[in-house]
Amino acid sequence: MDDGVLVRLAGISKSYGGVKACRDVDFTLRAGEVHALLGENGAGKSTLMRVLSGDITDYQGVVVVAGAEVHFHGPADAQRSGIAMIHQELDLVPGLSVAENIFLGREPRTRLRTLDRRAMLRLTRELLHRTGIDLDPRRPVGSLRTGEQQLVTIAKALSLDARVLIMDEPTSALTAAEVDRMFTVIGELRRNGAGIVYISHRMDEIGRIASRATVLRNGAVVASFDVRKMTATQAAEAMIGRPVQALFSTHDDAALGEPVLAVRDLVVTRQRPGRREPAGISLTVRRGEIVGLAGLLGSGRTELLETLFGAGRSWQGSVLLHGKPIRPRTPRQALRLGIAFVPEDRRSLGLALDHSVLANTVLSIVDRLSVLGMVSRQREQASVARIVRELQVKLASVRSPVSTLSGGNQQKVVFGRMLLTSPSVLLLDEPTRGVDVGAKAEIYQLLGQLAASGVGVLLASSELAELVGVCDRVIVLRGGRTVAELPTAQAGEAELLAASMGEVVPL
Amino acid sequence: MTTDFVATRPSAASVVFRFQSLFGLVAVFIAAVVFSPSRDGELLFLSSGNLFNVVRAMSEIGIIAVGMTFVILIGGIDLSVGAVLGLAAVGSAVLLVENDFSLVPAVLLVLLVGLVFGLLQGIATTLFKIQAFIVTLAGLQIARGLARIWSGGQGVAIAYGSDPGEAPVAFSLLGERTFNGLVPIPALIFIVVAALAILFLRGSAFSRHVYAIGGNEQAARLSGVPVTRVKVIVFGISGFLAALAGIIHAGQLNQGSPNDGSTYELDAIAAVVVGGTSLSGGRGSVVGTVAGALLLGVLNNILALNSVDTNVQLLIKGLVIVVAAGLQGLRPS
Repeated sequence: MDDGVLVRLAGISKSYGGVKACRDVDFTLRAGEVHALLGENGAGKSTLMRVLSGDITDYQGVVVVAGAEVHFHGPADAQRSGIAMIHQELDLVPGLSVAENIFLGREPRTRLRTLDRRAMLRLTRELLHRTGIDLDPRRPVGSLRTGEQQLVTIAKALSLDARVLIMDEPTSALTAAEVDRMFTVIGELRRNGAGIVYISHRMDEIGRIASRATVLRNGAVVASFDVRKMTATQAAEAMIGRPVQALFSTHDDAALGEPVLAVRDLVVTRQRPGRREPAGISLTVRRGEIVGLAGLLGSGRTELLETLFGAGRSWQGSVLLHGKPIRPRTPRQALRLGIAFVPEDRRSLGLALDHSVLANTVLSIVDRLSVLGMVSRQREQASVARIVRELQVKLASVRSPVSTLSGGNQQKVVFGRMLLTSPSVLLLDEPTRGVDVGAKAEIYQLLGQLAASGVGVLLASSELAELVGVCDRVIVLRGGRTVAELPTAQAGEAELLAASMGEVVPL
Repeated sequence: MTTDFVATRPSAASVVFRFQSLFGLVAVFIAAVVFSPSRDGELLFLSSGNLFNVVRAMSEIGIIAVGMTFVILIGGIDLSVGAVLGLAAVGSAVLLVENDFSLVPAVLLVLLVGLVFGLLQGIATTLFKIQAFIVTLAGLQIARGLARIWSGGQGVAIAYGSDPGEAPVAFSLLGERTFNGLVPIPALIFIVVAALAILFLRGSAFSRHVYAIGGNEQAARLSGVPVTRVKVIVFGISGFLAALAGIIHAGQLNQGSPNDGSTYELDAIAAVVVGGTSLSGGRGSVVGTVAGALLLGVLNNILALNSVDTNVQLLIKGLVIVVAAGLQGLRPS
C-alpha cells in the first residue's frame, strides 16, 4: 500500500447513450482523510461513486483498491472489499424495523441457524448508541421521518465496518444537532484509518470536516483544493464555471402589506403515527413577506404545512385567508382558495418521474386549461413555455420525461406547477434540498420576486443560513408549538438554533 | 448538465418498443397468413367469414379490456369484469324474457347495474383503503352470486318474437347480423367504444388525472387532483363496459347463463399487458390494448384453424404473454 492510499481511480469514463457522465476522471482517497467531492447536480459525482461502489460495472478505466486492481461485479462485491456507499435515495425497506434494515441480508443467527432477534436488537442498540441516534430499533422504518431514515442508513453503513465510506449528501435531512453528532462519528472513523468520500452542497460542512476537495463539472475534474485554503466562492465558481452572483437576494421590506394568512391556536386532535402534529400554532404571514419555519426534526414543520394545505388530519383553531376563515379538507380545495404547496421530497411527493415535463407542469391546472373537458394544447403549451422561460428550466424538450432533468430543474417543475395556480400563499418544505448552488440562487431570487408581487411565503427549512438569508422573520417550532418568532434583521443562525433546541432567546 | 442530456431524436429501438404491440400484431398477422390452411386455393384465414369471426370473437374481450386499461392506468386491477359480464348477460335475458321489458329499458337497466357495481367497488377501494385486487376479487364472487340468484341458477334462453316471454327481435342484431354486410354489430360497438376511449384518453383533463394517479398518486393528490373521485369513476367505467360486453354476449349466444364470462378478466388483463400498458400504472394506451386484443384474437383463430390441440393453444398463448411482458421490461425508460 503506497503512502496510505486506500483507493485510486484512474481514467474513469462512463457514458449513458451519447452523454458522457464521466470523462477520464482521476481520484484518490487516502486513509484517515475526508475527501469532499463537489459539483452541480449532474456533474458526474454520483456516477463516479457508483463505479467505486460496484453499482456500475461497465466503465472504462482502472479501479485500484489497497494496491490491487479490481473490477467489482456488484455492490456486494465492493462491500467485501470494505467499500460502502450511503445513497442519496434512501435504500431502506419501509415495512421492516430499524434493526432488520440494518442487518438485512446478514442477520445474526443462533446456533440452530435461526434468526437471532435478541442479538440483532442488542447490536443495533449499541450501534445507535455509538452514533448518538435516539431511536427504537423495533420501529418500522416507514414510520420514520426522512431525516431519521437518513440516520438509519448511516448507522447501517457504519455497521459494515467499511474502510471506505461514500456519503452522498448525508446531511440533507438532518438538523444541526444531528449533523454535529454525525461529524463526531466521522472523526472517529477517520482516526481509525478509514477514508471517507463526502458529497455535499453545503460549503460550511465541507469546511468543517474535509481536508481535500475535488470539483467535477460536466463529468470531468476541473479543480482540486486543499480545503483549508479554499473559499466558498472559489469552490462555487469552479462548480458552475462562472462567477457567482450573490446567493441570497434581498427584497424590499417596505412593501409588506396586510396579513394574507393568519393561524390562531391550530391544534390537530388525532396524531398520525410517527408524526408530530401541530399542538398549538399561531402565526401570521403578510402580503409580500417571506416567513421562515425553523425547528429540529420532529418539531412539526412539515405537518403544519400539510395541515394548512388540507393534506393532514382534521384540526381545531382558526385559519384566516385574507381575513376570512377557511378550512381546506383536500389539497384541491386549498389550491382553489389560493394556497400552494411545494412538498419536501420531489421524487416521492412531487413528480411522476416517468411522465413528461409538460404533463407534470400543467397537472394542477388541466381543468382550467380545458374546454368541454378537453385540454387545449395551445394553452398548455403556452403555460409550460411561460414556466420554462420565467424559471429558466434547462431541458431538451418539454416532452422528455421529467426524470431526465437535474435535481434543481426538477424542483423548478414542481415550483412552476404551483405558480401556474396563481397562489396568494405559497407553502414550501425544504425547497432547496439536493439542489445545486446555481439553482439554489435562482430559487431564492424567484422567492424574492414572488414576495415582491404580493405573495405571502411560508418557508420551512433545516438550513439555518437559508432561513436567515432569505426570510424577513423566522417562526421557531418545537414539539408542534410555536415557541419563538425572530426577525432576521436582529437574529442569526445561532439564535435560531438555540431557540429550536429550547433555550430562551432574549431579544 | 446541458440540454444534450436527452437524445431529441428517438432511436429505432425506442420506436419499436413504443409501438411494440402494433409490431407484434403485424407479426402475428403475417404468421397467420403463412400458416393458414387453404381450401380450393383460398387461404381460410383471409376469408371474409373467418375475419368476421376473429373480430366478433374478440369484441367482448376488447370492450372489457378498454375498461381494464383505465383501471390499470391508475395502478389498479379489476378482477370482477368477467363476473359482471355474466351478471349482465343473465340480467338481459331475464328482463327481456321473464319480465317482458322492452329493449331500451332492459339495456339501460343492465348498463346501470354494471355502472353502479363498478362505482361501489371504487368506493370500497378508496374510502376503506382496501387494495383493488381484494375488492374486485370479492366483487367477482358477489357478481357471480347475484347472477345465480337472478337466473335461478341456470341459463335463461332467449327466444325472439312479440309474444310474452319472447325478446324483441331487435336484440338479435347483436348476434349474427352485420352492418352493411361488412362488420358484425359487436365489432362495430367495440370500434366505437375504443375510438371514444382513445379520443378521451388523448386529450381530456380527466385522462391527465388518470395518468397522474398511476404515475405518482401522492404527487397527484398534492397537485390538486381529485384522486378519490377519479378512481371511483374509473371503476365505474370498467363496470359499465363489462355490462355492455355482457349484453352483447347474451345477444350472440341467445341466452344468459350465470357462468358466462368466467376467466374473461384474465384475457382482458392479458390484452392490456400485451398492449404495453404497465401494470404499475401511469403508462400505456387504449391503442395498445386494441392491438393486444386483436393480436390474441388472431392467435386464437389461427391456432383453432390449424386444429392445434387446445392444451397446446393455452401453452402458446401463455408464452406470448410472457414474451410481451418481457419486452416491456427491456424497454428503455
